[in-house]
Amino acid sequence: MFAYVIRRLWQMVPTLLGVVLLVFGLFNFVGGDPAYLLAGKISNPEQIENIRRQLGVDQPYYVQLWIFLKQIATGDFGVSWATNERVSAIFATRLGPSLTVLLPLLVIDTLLAMAAAMLVAYMRGSLTDRLVMIGCTVGQSVSILVYIIVLQYVLAYQLGWFPVQGWGNNLAENLFRFSLLPIIVGVVVSLAPDTRLYRSFFLDEINQDYVRTARAKGMGEGRVMWVHVLRNASIPIITNVMIQLPGLLAGAFLIERFFSIPGIGREVILAVERSDFPVIKAITIYVAIATMVINLLADLLYKAVDPRVQLK
Amino acid sequence: MSELVIAGRNVPRARSPGLWVLAWRRFGRDRVGVVSLAVVVFFCALMTASGLNLIAADWAQEAGVNYAPPTFMGPDAVEAEAVTPPVAQPAGGERAESSDIVDPLADVLAEIRRDPAAVAPPAPKAATLPFGGDKWGRDVLKKVIKGTQTSMFVGIAAALLATLLGTVFGALAGYYGRAVDDFFNWFYSIFTSVPYLLLILAIAAVLNQKGTLTVVLILGLTGWPGIFRLVRAEYLKHKAREYIQAADAIGASHRRRMFVHILPNVSHVILVQLSLHVVLFIKSEVILSFLGFGVGVDTVSWGSMLNEAQSELILGKWWQLVAATAAMAALVTAFSLFTDALRDALDPRLK
Amino acid sequence: MIAAPEPNTVRRWCSRLARVLLLCMFGAIAHAADPAKSLRVTFMAAETGFDPVKTSDVYSGTVIEAIFEPLLTYDYLARPARLVPNTAESLPLVADTGRTYTLKLKKGIYFADDPAFKGKQRELTAEDYAYTIKRYLDPKNRSPYSFLFEGKIAGLDELAAQAKKSGRFDYDAKVPGLEVSDRYTLRIRLKQTDFNFSHVLAFSQVGAVAREVVEAYGDDINSHPVGTGAYRLKRYVRSSKIVLEANPRYRGRTWDFAAGDDPRDREIVAQMKGKQLPLIGTVEISIMEETQSRWLAFERGETDIEYQLWEVAPKYMTADGKLRPEFAKRGIKLDRSVDPEIIYMHFNTQEKIGDEPNPLGGFSKEKIALRRAIAMAYRIDDQLRIIRQGQAVKAEYPIPPGVAGHDPYYKSSIRYDPRTANALLDKFGYKKGPGGYRTQPDGKPLVLQFWSIPIERDRQFDEVMKRSLDAIGLRVEIRKERFAELIKLDKQCRLMMHNSAWIADYPDGDNFMQLLYGPNTGQSNSACYRSPEFDRMYEKSRMLPDGPARNKLYHDMTRLMEVHTVWILEDSRYRNVLLQPYVVGYKRHPVMHAEWMYVDLAAKRGN
Repeated sequence: MFAYVIRRLWQMVPTLLGVVLLVFGLFNFVGGDPAYLLAGKISNPEQIENIRRQLGVDQPYYVQLWIFLKQIATGDFGVSWATNERVSAIFATRLGPSLTVLLPLLVIDTLLAMAAAMLVAYMRGSLTDRLVMIGCTVGQSVSILVYIIVLQYVLAYQLGWFPVQGWGNNLAENLFRFSLLPIIVGVVVSLAPDTRLYRSFFLDEINQDYVRTARAKGMGEGRVMWVHVLRNASIPIITNVMIQLPGLLAGAFLIERFFSIPGIGREVILAVERSDFPVIKAITIYVAIATMVINLLADLLYKAVDPRVQLK
Repeated sequence: MSELVIAGRNVPRARSPGLWVLAWRRFGRDRVGVVSLAVVVFFCALMTASGLNLIAADWAQEAGVNYAPPTFMGPDAVEAEAVTPPVAQPAGGERAESSDIVDPLADVLAEIRRDPAAVAPPAPKAATLPFGGDKWGRDVLKKVIKGTQTSMFVGIAAALLATLLGTVFGALAGYYGRAVDDFFNWFYSIFTSVPYLLLILAIAAVLNQKGTLTVVLILGLTGWPGIFRLVRAEYLKHKAREYIQAADAIGASHRRRMFVHILPNVSHVILVQLSLHVVLFIKSEVILSFLGFGVGVDTVSWGSMLNEAQSELILGKWWQLVAATAAMAALVTAFSLFTDALRDALDPRLK
Repeated sequence: MIAAPEPNTVRRWCSRLARVLLLCMFGAIAHAADPAKSLRVTFMAAETGFDPVKTSDVYSGTVIEAIFEPLLTYDYLARPARLVPNTAESLPLVADTGRTYTLKLKKGIYFADDPAFKGKQRELTAEDYAYTIKRYLDPKNRSPYSFLFEGKIAGLDELAAQAKKSGRFDYDAKVPGLEVSDRYTLRIRLKQTDFNFSHVLAFSQVGAVAREVVEAYGDDINSHPVGTGAYRLKRYVRSSKIVLEANPRYRGRTWDFAAGDDPRDREIVAQMKGKQLPLIGTVEISIMEETQSRWLAFERGETDIEYQLWEVAPKYMTADGKLRPEFAKRGIKLDRSVDPEIIYMHFNTQEKIGDEPNPLGGFSKEKIALRRAIAMAYRIDDQLRIIRQGQAVKAEYPIPPGVAGHDPYYKSSIRYDPRTANALLDKFGYKKGPGGYRTQPDGKPLVLQFWSIPIERDRQFDEVMKRSLDAIGLRVEIRKERFAELIKLDKQCRLMMHNSAWIADYPDGDNFMQLLYGPNTGQSNSACYRSPEFDRMYEKSRMLPDGPARNKLYHDMTRLMEVHTVWILEDSRYRNVLLQPYVVGYKRHPVMHAEWMYVDLAAKRGN
């Protein structure tokens, strides 16, 4: 096991290097020159040169690449080119709001989807099952953009049940007032696909031999579901949730944008618009590392729970 | 081979149906699947007809007044007066400022002005349209049809690209294993580690042109990892099977083994993935439009319609939003249900 | 989070005593800011930071305006904008044909408390302004506003050049052009005549900064603004929320502006005269990017002032520019004025773009005819009606309303006339080719390029351009590029056709005419227009103060720009400011955007 973990960690290095090269190459060749943006309305070539020198982009590529690698090793990506805020501070402050919305969203969505999936798996083949599945499909076919716009308009504006947007000063206020509508929107959007997915996990388990044995032993269907199927299906469900997390952090930008939540997704869009390389670098590396580490944890979890799994 | 010859007696043997025939029969028994297929075929027909300019060819025309309401709602009374809001002009007429500056085109312009020529009166604009008009007065119904063509084309083309890449990469990685597999896995992990937004941006930046083709490329070049993973797993499984060993024995080359022997056995997985990705990409196109990486100005897609609809909703003009959402929902639902039925038909264990 | 740590107890009591004594000595409470009065506003884009020297976006600038004080400022009510002294005792003494500016500071102005001052009160001195100006040319600061001072002040550019070589700007060196003759007197010597320099001294970002603060915070100065103004930074969540509170050290002022011609002025004077400013104790700024969010927030009473709602204007305004009755009934107020800006499309007038020949560049008759035809075919009415929804005025003159030098009676010689445009193109040999689009006179294909950024709003402009050009048979490619990249291409003169906007940095026409000045190519002259005749007239205009002589020159320059068809003037937008019923004393100023210290909140919602 230990050797496996070491080997996986060691395998992360080439991947990370690949990501570094990708980001570096892309930014330098197609990423846009931030100097002009920072130079303001009126500037001359001399000022542009000065800015590039201050940012350090006038140095040869291998020097810049070396600096990038050092930054990864120390975890210090310097300051944002646009706002001079320390990149590490940016992450420290933006992570909180993102998680305040994402974690409750994931928990609620997973529980609801599991409940719904188990129910329809239990009643598989029946009319209810088919109707629910079709309902999920229809729900999935509407774009998240439409959900955000319409729900914000109806629930926040017309009915006044939630604030239209914004973020507060303390955790309690954020969690119980400002996060509610974003969480609702997130759950509505993710419930359908997750239900379908978890249903297929449950069905996979139901079709296994041990379930047939349990039934043959005379165990009731309900007990079969709760005691056996649920436990075994939990693993792919949990690993599915874990694996989605890093992508969700950076990808929640739509919700963060519409509800003015100062999270990481929004920061990504800002950084990209301003060609703010230090922030882009940091986000890419952090997400890459997070993805790889979480994948490793998911695999270890599988092994821990199911000893038959061979880790290679 | 269809007859088994047993010493002297010919025993007619029924031709056993292949995978596809069986699948088709199973599919036919699934009513939901058949209905969805019919809907999908209808949309394909719409797409083709629109593509050949048989219908909705004049979608870009300003057929109605701005924000023309749907016919079943009746024309807007208020709108009529607001056609040209008075542009604030200060009191006092033009002061003829004499200037010494000479216009090089002065004589040509004078000549033109001396020619009276008939000016065609502008075509009258309808007060209402079947399902309303957008801010320019374009028919929403025609836009939806044209949008179907674009969105479906993007979805299908991008899915084909992603499937092609995923299949080739997956086949090579799964079949050859070892170094080749390591390389592709490395490539795969890079792609999945970089945040999606940055990946899109990078590709969009490389392909300087914006337009339908760019959208197809963006989606196709970022969408292959899922397919890669599945195809690779399948190839790993099949490579160890006996029929491949047999193929090796008869001297089939690697390429032949990969694509002539294994591929047909894996094709049902690939087909389902293709179908899934068509749906995924049609939905992704909407997000790309929101981010600004959508189709160009002279093209309309569901994504561009929803993007416009965002600011229209707050003004109370809901028809473009409803039309695009309904059309997209219908196609995506039908396609998804069709995919489910397809998967069930091809792999009946997963019922 | 900004938190001022307490100095030790004894000093605390002494300084408190001293403060009370000081207040008593000056006889009046320094300010009457009520901390319970909290104003909630929004920005539609994120700020970047609050070091006046480093930022150039209007949102950071607005906060900076509330915290720092330049030597001069503008009268709140007077239109067109009129300069008045701020921290200076009076308007500068201008001598030497506009080359020497002498200013005396008021005594007894203090910076807000900050740990960098080590517990002492810090008085504002002339040296602070000299230091502030020097910072603009420090290469390390890479200031986007260095153009305000570059090449203007005797001795300063030489110091900057030295700093580039040595890598360190010597702030202690004496600059002949920034003479601090005594603690409160600053004499600025310019290299050339400049009658507009007072406007530079009134620019909100030329507010005084204290050297100790800059040196104490180093790179972090962006989040530690310490000024002498009415407000100071209380709480700061980047790109999300900015909270300002009344600065206890602010010297205070009395609301004493005189009513002008505008009928609204009388009501404002009646409500506000004699009050001690600032009245608002807290200003809460939220960053809200989406229009829907901002509109809904205002409509539900979650914000007090909202002025970034162009897209939804029909929701609260009728077609003829009045507030809709349902909002007027609620007591909501509308303040409407034209922004001192112009939106224009510039043609690249160079012969070549990069290495390719430019199909519409140059000044031969046929090229001018091509540009003129495009200008005559541009559907400005569609833009005003559909994109702006009636919330803009057509721009006839390069200088917009509210800016010195604007002529409300001038009409552009280029009018919408697609028929003539078509005839013009026919006459100059731009015949229609096989594809239905016109070719160049020599038969080569003619493809125009119009550049914009990939956002929804720009897409609408693309549509107007495409329709306009289709009507006269010209083929156009819409090229999309991200904003940062577009700026770069713009400064490199590589954009064939592009929409630009310019909002006044200071309310003088020179700020707009310089956009066409040849030597500004690569900086602000996006059309890369180099006309010796224009440049000569421009240089003459710089020697004149605002008046009929300068206006005549401006007329000629405008005519020249029209006959060369360098720009298509489009519009200037209305600034519709919506105010909740309890906001009192508001009048939108063309250049001052942080009106918070001049307004009041009547008794209202408990907050």
